[in-house]
Amino acid sequence: MSISLPNRAVLQGLIVYAGFVLIFLFFAVMLWDRGFLSAQNLTNIVLQTAPATVLAVGLVFVLAAGEIDLSFGAAVALSAIVAAMVMRVTVWPVGVAAGLATGMAVGFVNGAIVAYVRLPSFLVTLATMGVVAGIARELSNLQSIPVTADTFIGIFGGGKLLGIPSLVIWTVLALLIGHLVFRETRYGAHILATGDNPRAALVSGIRVARLRLSVLVVSGACAGLAGLLYAGRLQAARYTLGESDLMTVIAAVIVGGTALSGGRGTIPGALVGSLMMGMLSNGLILMGLSVSWQMIIKGLIVLAAVAVSLRDPNR
Amino acid sequence: MTCTSRNLLASLSVLAFLAMPVSAQTVGPSGEAATPSSSVTLDEAQASELQGRGLKAALLWHDQSDFVNAVTAGASDEFARLGIEVVATTSAGFDSARQLADIETALALKPDIMLSLPLDPVSSAVAFEKASAAGVKLVFLSNLPSGYEHPSDYAAIVTDDLFQMGKQAADTLATAMEGTGEVGWIYHDAAYYVTNQRDNAFKTTIETDYPDMTIVAEAGISDPARAEEIANAMLLQNPDLGGIYVTWAGPAEGVLAALRANGNKTTRIVTLDLSEPIALDMVKGGNVVGIVADEAYELGRAMAAAGGRAVLGLETPPFVVAPAVSVTAENVNEGWNTSLHLDAPKSVLDALQ
Repeated sequence: MSISLPNRAVLQGLIVYAGFVLIFLFFAVMLWDRGFLSAQNLTNIVLQTAPATVLAVGLVFVLAAGEIDLSFGAAVALSAIVAAMVMRVTVWPVGVAAGLATGMAVGFVNGAIVAYVRLPSFLVTLATMGVVAGIARELSNLQSIPVTADTFIGIFGGGKLLGIPSLVIWTVLALLIGHLVFRETRYGAHILATGDNPRAALVSGIRVARLRLSVLVVSGACAGLAGLLYAGRLQAARYTLGESDLMTVIAAVIVGGTALSGGRGTIPGALVGSLMMGMLSNGLILMGLSVSWQMIIKGLIVLAAVAVSLRDPNR
Repeated sequence: MTCTSRNLLASLSVLAFLAMPVSAQTVGPSGEAATPSSSVTLDEAQASELQGRGLKAALLWHDQSDFVNAVTAGASDEFARLGIEVVATTSAGFDSARQLADIETALALKPDIMLSLPLDPVSSAVAFEKASAAGVKLVFLSNLPSGYEHPSDYAAIVTDDLFQMGKQAADTLATAMEGTGEVGWIYHDAAYYVTNQRDNAFKTTIETDYPDMTIVAEAGISDPARAEEIANAMLLQNPDLGGIYVTWAGPAEGVLAALRANGNKTTRIVTLDLSEPIALDMVKGGNVVGIVADEAYELGRAMAAAGGRAVLGLETPPFVVAPAVSVTAENVNEGWNTSLHLDAPKSVLDALQ
């Protein structure tokens, strides 16, 4: 009798889920009397990671296509600031549209330069990260801009629909749409093909330049939505929003199983990666560790997770 | 408070200060009168009332630095004396969204007291609402979330004696310049009541207490990296400057670099907050004649004591200030210990011998 073993790629894909469960169990045992398993704390982890998860969806598209976006953190801040400023002078739906449009505009500029000027996305988005962050600072004059539109705050911040927090609904929507587009459409397949081998993709008729532009616009749109979620949650927009998300989201997406080199990506993996990062921050704080030790242990666990999920035995 | 903290927190919208006249005393962000930190205490009987009750505290800081470490040490020691367990310590890295997440996370531990520097009055108001609603006693460092009322929403704000810091800097420079000569004033060009009060106190003291000293050059600074070029321009236009006040130690390092590059050994520098390179120049008899620091350890102790008093239902003053300490070459190690509860850096101590 022969037993067929799952192939290596499938096993590697499952490791992130196993890692997530292991870390969860570790904290559940260590912190059983320190509030980790309380419904409120678990809800907090989901709500706190909501903007990062939305950003992770966009980044999966970008990384899977073989590109990178370093400007999404700055785009989060600019989108939130633009939305808040517009809401000060007009109704909130216009502010929402302005915020999303801002994120998409940043993505469009990135994408146009990458696709048609043919510069590497790493350098382009590194440069636009500075430009966009500077504009956010200049526009806001380094001040927080309050958001007072109650309906907006309900829809994008602390509200609930049928008992489900609105942040969760937005996150699930982003994940579902992202997953369906990525897995079930020809566009998703083209992204993977381009990321895997851009020359072959071009020869096979995929419009690679337009595709590169589009994935960066998707990332920008996700940054716009994340900016709105932050503005709703904090009831204010500030130039520092999204700044600390850059490394967290990149780590979450890669831990989740998306290849930094392109050609491989998973939206469910990004969700698990994002929740894992949020759970690590949360659990390490609850353990009462000093800030320095929180940083050291989080870094080591992320390193281990990346090593296990991405190690290529052929290299 | 650390230099980077000041620069990054410069945007805090404590605009109320802008409408205030320059005061001869430190006042709070809403114009509150200052109470000395030494009066915020708990005696042994009160401490024993707190002990054994299983009380918990969370320290939710804005950043990591020597300053924050010293405040944490002061708070932790006082909490230990009161039998209160510190269950969480966080650093938000100047990110207001992360500070909100830190507060929510810490609430899972059901703390009775939270000590924090609210990063931003606007978004912090929302962030601390949950803690306030949960009955947690809030003690703030330097800043106040918008719309918060004392004592219903928070126990106390604790900060430096800002006026004394500026005044003592003026006195130190005047002593070094023997009360006469031209002075340059490099101030923090941002609406932040902490640095604004310190800078203005220096200027007011020179103008009112030292008639033979004149501020002949004024320059605002928002980016410490530009200090050297600002100092170079100031020295070019005012070659006879006897002394320069620099708003905090970071840009003072740039000013010192400018003086060294010009071979200038006569212009004195006075600045605020401890810094190893600045202290090293001072003990070697260079341009720096004095540093005025805050008592960070005492800030932490007073915050913890204010939290303990609030738990007991005792009165807490809305605005508390910890004293300033003038540090010169003669008392550098003692000053370091008073401020940070640490010995001065080895390089500074070695240079003293």
